[in-house]
Amino acid sequence: MKPKKKVEEAIRGKLRFTAGSTFRDRLWAEVMDTHQEFTSTRPVLHELDIRRKIMRNPIAKLTSVAAVIAVAAMSLVFWGRFNTPAYAIEQTVKALQNVRCLHIIGRDEAGEISDERWIEIGEDGYQVRYRQQNPPSVIEEHPGAPSMVIEDGESTAVYRQENKAVILYDRKEMQYQWVGQLGKAFDNLLQEGKILEENSEYQGRPAHKVWWPFMSAECYVDPETKLPIAIGNTELGYEEPPADTWEITIPDGFVVVDKRPGATPTTTPDWLIAEENAGEAKGESFRQGVEALIRGDHAEAAKQLEQALGCDSWATFWLGSAYYGLGQYDLAAEYFTEMLNTMLKAFGGDVLPYCNYALGLAQARAGNLEAVTVNFQACLPTMIQTLRIPSGGKMFEYADNPRIRCGQHKPSDQEMVVKMINRLRIITGQNFGYDPARTNEQNEAAIAAWEQWFQTDSQIRFTPDAELLPVPVSSAGEQTNANN
Amino acid sequence: MLEDRLLKWKFRRGSRDALARIYEKYLDSMLTLAAGLLNDTSQAQDVVHDVFVSFAKSAPGFRLRGSLSGYLATSVVNRVRDYQRRRCRARRVGLAPPENTTATPEDTVIFTEQAGRLSQVIAELPDEQREVVLLRLTADMKFRDIAKLQQVSINTVQGRYRYGLDHLRSMLNGEVDK
Repeated sequence: MKPKKKVEEAIRGKLRFTAGSTFRDRLWAEVMDTHQEFTSTRPVLHELDIRRKIMRNPIAKLTSVAAVIAVAAMSLVFWGRFNTPAYAIEQTVKALQNVRCLHIIGRDEAGEISDERWIEIGEDGYQVRYRQQNPPSVIEEHPGAPSMVIEDGESTAVYRQENKAVILYDRKEMQYQWVGQLGKAFDNLLQEGKILEENSEYQGRPAHKVWWPFMSAECYVDPETKLPIAIGNTELGYEEPPADTWEITIPDGFVVVDKRPGATPTTTPDWLIAEENAGEAKGESFRQGVEALIRGDHAEAAKQLEQALGCDSWATFWLGSAYYGLGQYDLAAEYFTEMLNTMLKAFGGDVLPYCNYALGLAQARAGNLEAVTVNFQACLPTMIQTLRIPSGGKMFEYADNPRIRCGQHKPSDQEMVVKMINRLRIITGQNFGYDPARTNEQNEAAIAAWEQWFQTDSQIRFTPDAELLPVPVSSAGEQTNANN
Repeated sequence: MLEDRLLKWKFRRGSRDALARIYEKYLDSMLTLAAGLLNDTSQAQDVVHDVFVSFAKSAPGFRLRGSLSGYLATSVVNRVRDYQRRRCRARRVGLAPPENTTATPEDTVIFTEQAGRLSQVIAELPDEQREVVLLRLTADMKFRDIAKLQQVSINTVQGRYRYGLDHLRSMLNGEVDK
């Protein structure tokens, strides 16, 4: 070992001064007294009494009015300088309601733009016009993906660079979206969003950090405008788009395939017919594969989902789940890895917690213990956070239970917490005594113990036979957990 | 870290439990930092006392963007600098305390012989290097944050760290190999 390293280790390991009990207790008593003094509420009864007496005298009345005006004026002067009003999520929702244009930029792991979209939002909160541009790397990765999509409010134009074609659809029949219904997303932020940290920062910019369950991501809010500047790894802007953003133009040398009602009939190219047929077939395989997975027929699920690969990113993940169910853990790990790599490449970041978890389980079953630790460590922070913010576990549930995708199940907060505790027990071998039958207050100790463990120990110990909690059955019916 | 984020959030809302946890979690590391910077356990206790009492006062409206440990470590450094300035002034007017104080730190601060020896050696470093080495190794502060505290560039801080370790290595003369 290098000598400098030894010095570093010596200081880290041996330079330790510990407060003895006398000093520790004495100081703690003083710290507590101070805290008590500075956080206690002062009684206001005397103030009422004083004001009543002053008002009996007319001169005092005038004096008090003048004093009130002076205090108010001083408050206005000092308000801006010294008092930062507390942030509330409602402010962001209100600010978003006034937004008419969204500029969305996703970056890949190298920092290059991997996803750029413009969305015009109407006063009713619905998407009016839309533009999405995919860089060549995305098209290479996903053959058949459009190079560009433009919705001008009436028509949707899908640009296919490799085929030198623009396909026109009626907007009512073909619509592209960013995260589904924006109004629903805003409503979810208002109802379920949680402030994680005020006055935090995002890439050097001051920002409030907020958990946005609909997005399954942390969102960073500009303290001035109250608007999100980033959601997960996606950056948001609100500037006006360039003038021709919504204009559908046909590049030189491109053919137009017009599929809008009433359009002059055009010949659909063979590649598009083949693609549409294949797309339909894959879509049907995906539907059947998901259904098979739900009913626990892993062999059929694997067969169908193999056929569905490429039509939906979840086909890859659930194919991994099907192989996991069949006990083919190496194959399962392969598909989970593929999902992980694809998503990280497309959206940036280092971790996709639900995917790292599934991959870790498959590797553990396959006996690849070294990789297991890395993957389980990667998903631990989100798992622990879920114990206090249940919606943090939403994607774990979605991944483990395809019934959610089919709208057949909506996990409750308690279910998400209980299942997360079960997952934690399996990957850590720890048990801190949570009981779903108890109140939140009673379970606080168990959650605090998990956090404490995470902070001080956080060692991974795959424990497949860990004692698991019974999962509360929600009104949505039985539970399915493809991985456990 | 997740726990610190929750602790800050709770502390701002007046949670006594959060304060207790912060106290338990950081008391010893801040004491180590102060003792290392001052090479005097008695004064280190005073510094840590001031830091935690002042921290307890700050609960209402407490705002912190960075890490809790970084915040406390910065507070320790600032208090230590105040102490050192006061000590210099006291010496100039002949009020320096006797070298061997009557305090019995064993009752109040526990440390090994090795820690005492390391502290003595670290005390030989120039102030700036000592600060960097201790903030980095006992408070896990990032070079970027230390640079902000010392109001110098990151390169300067990294240089101070490197020189500091070199000095320590030569002064310890193979002791760390044991």
